[in-house]
Amino acid sequence: MSTTILVAAPAKTTDARAEHSPTRGIAWNLARRVALALCAFCLFWLLAPFAAQAADPGVTKTAIKIGIFGPLSGPAAAFGQGALGIAAIYKDLNAHGGIYGRKIEIYMEDTGCNTAKGIAAVKKLVSFDHVFMLNGGFCSDVVMALKPSLAKIGIPFMDGGAADTRISKPLAANIFQPIFTTEAFARSEIDFALSKPGPKRIAIISQSDEWGKSGHDPAVDELAKHHLKPVADVIMERGSIDATPQVLQLKAAKPSFIITVLYPAPFAIFLRDAAKYGLTTPVIGSQAIGIEDAARQLKNPLEMNRVYVFYPLAAPIGSPKMAKWEAIFKKYNPRVRTVTFAFIAMGGTEAVIAALKKAGPEPTRAKVIAALDGLYHFNSGVLSAPISFSPTNHAGVSGGAMITYVHNKLVVVRRYQQAPK
Amino acid sequence: MFAQLVVSGIGQGSIYALVALGMTILFRVTTVVNFAHGELFMAGAFLIYALLNALGVPYAAAALAALLFLFLFGNAVERLLMRPLANAPHLSLAMMTVALSYLLRGGVRFLWGGNVRSLPPMFSFAPIEVGPVVIDAQDAVIIASTAALLVLFFALMRYSRFGKEAQAVTDSTRGAALVGINVAAFQRTMWGVAAMVAAVASILVAPETMLYPDMGARVLLRAFAAMTLGGFGSLGGAVAGGILMGIIEQLAGGYVSTAMIDIASYIVIIAVLLLRPSGLFGRAEVVRV
Repeated sequence: MSTTILVAAPAKTTDARAEHSPTRGIAWNLARRVALALCAFCLFWLLAPFAAQAADPGVTKTAIKIGIFGPLSGPAAAFGQGALGIAAIYKDLNAHGGIYGRKIEIYMEDTGCNTAKGIAAVKKLVSFDHVFMLNGGFCSDVVMALKPSLAKIGIPFMDGGAADTRISKPLAANIFQPIFTTEAFARSEIDFALSKPGPKRIAIISQSDEWGKSGHDPAVDELAKHHLKPVADVIMERGSIDATPQVLQLKAAKPSFIITVLYPAPFAIFLRDAAKYGLTTPVIGSQAIGIEDAARQLKNPLEMNRVYVFYPLAAPIGSPKMAKWEAIFKKYNPRVRTVTFAFIAMGGTEAVIAALKKAGPEPTRAKVIAALDGLYHFNSGVLSAPISFSPTNHAGVSGGAMITYVHNKLVVVRRYQQAPK
Repeated sequence: MFAQLVVSGIGQGSIYALVALGMTILFRVTTVVNFAHGELFMAGAFLIYALLNALGVPYAAAALAALLFLFLFGNAVERLLMRPLANAPHLSLAMMTVALSYLLRGGVRFLWGGNVRSLPPMFSFAPIEVGPVVIDAQDAVIIASTAALLVLFFALMRYSRFGKEAQAVTDSTRGAALVGINVAAFQRTMWGVAAMVAAVASILVAPETMLYPDMGARVLLRAFAAMTLGGFGSLGGAVAGGILMGIIEQLAGGYVSTAMIDIASYIVIIAVLLLRPSGLFGRAEVVRV
């Protein structure tokens, strides 16, 4: 507005001058137009970054705001270690200078593994904190409830540890899942169980929530492909403190393998009661289980010899390969006793960092999504398999390892580069 | 399988009964339903865990410390949180206990995080096998302790001066004060005693279950169902209700569906409230007009 006034005011003078000298008047008009064009160009150049910021919030000259959410409280709070792991990686990045001079500004929210609380948490991160992107979400129920709105907003979201296959299938352009999905896990565990000699009698014990179903249903489907049915199919809820009925039913069914789709607490209680009632059938646990932690919770750790766990990390905790990641986690969470879940989301976070770097000094959400879509065979160093995304596939991890204790030592008994088809 | 389920149900139900017993003792004297009782149970378990692991204290000493600490803590809760609300509506008192439960849960989570932890077993006895039925030594101790506590409190309430004072305070705090009972001190002590019963539950039950900040919530719900089933305010009812709850859960899980275990307590609450609101051993309140 002020520019218009300044230009309009001397108009008469210009005309007067033009009357004195027509050539001088034309030159003056030309100069004025060039000056105006220059001013407009400069103004555009100066305001361009702010215009970009208005389109994609959360990026300033000095910081990139990233929202982390996970169950820091509630019965699934053990998974909250994943959120702490994500934060530790960003803090470590900041300690090493950040990305293109920008530090990662962390905004962390608790979901309590509760859908309503999770939706409120993410709403706050997006609408109030104006984060650039999201990283986290460890409960499938919560992430599945958020999926439609996240897809609509278009904010880049790197899943932390929610494994439900439906998070990445059907694909949403901005949602990335850098962990082994429940479907791939179900295929692997059935493949593993059926590869063992002897009768093929598979039983399943699972939680009845969304996460439990997302592991249970593909396992049943996979068995059906082999013309098999579970010989027993029982439910154990998250907060259970006893598994007697489940153990007795499983024992009566005489299974050769038991597939478990349980969180760490019910898994440990199930193992205890199985030992109590003499159920010695081999058991497979999902990647939600920290095998080291489960071993600590058993009265007799030798019982772990029949427990197999799908392991998402590059190597067992405590091994030299994991030392770097453990050091980063411990540096920022010195009082926390680490479990597998502390590291499970670090691979995805490393992928985010790689994408932010690739997006260049002026990152936009579109650039980051494009960079993630181009991530192929990305070795995070912390996961047991590389991460690969493409515009048509956002389930980034297709391999893993099955581990167990042999003579009190963790041993990889099978490695899957690709989940069995 | 039936015998095993019943035996296991008695063991499981004794856990609910122990927690329900603590809630009933307090309810009889103060008419307050303590929604933080599950968290007192949880706090006791974590205190034992801390003393065992951080300080290397023997189990017996840790258990004694938990009893003492929770007795004092119960006293402090009454003095600092409940007494200022003495004349407030019942809803305010209930809300204060809800707030306390969240505070305790949050505090434990802050100190120990949300990880699942375990306590070593109190006894290293092998399980007792009677034919096909397995009785865990820890379960046997829980059942015996619950029975002993029930007898103790029943005798105290029925035959001692303490019991008569408790009855007087329950009937009318003003009347009790007029006959010389220090009502405030009495109620404070009862908060301590109820918290101490929660500590007993922690000592006995925690090695059986896993330790995590939310462990009290589920047990509290079962204890609540047990109180409803047995009759609010009845000591025997709380214990019988707890044991019945345990057996119902186990049989429903074993013979109907494992998915029924979790909803059995809700079904019990609904059925009892509809068919016999005073519970199996409770008495309908009679008011002279």
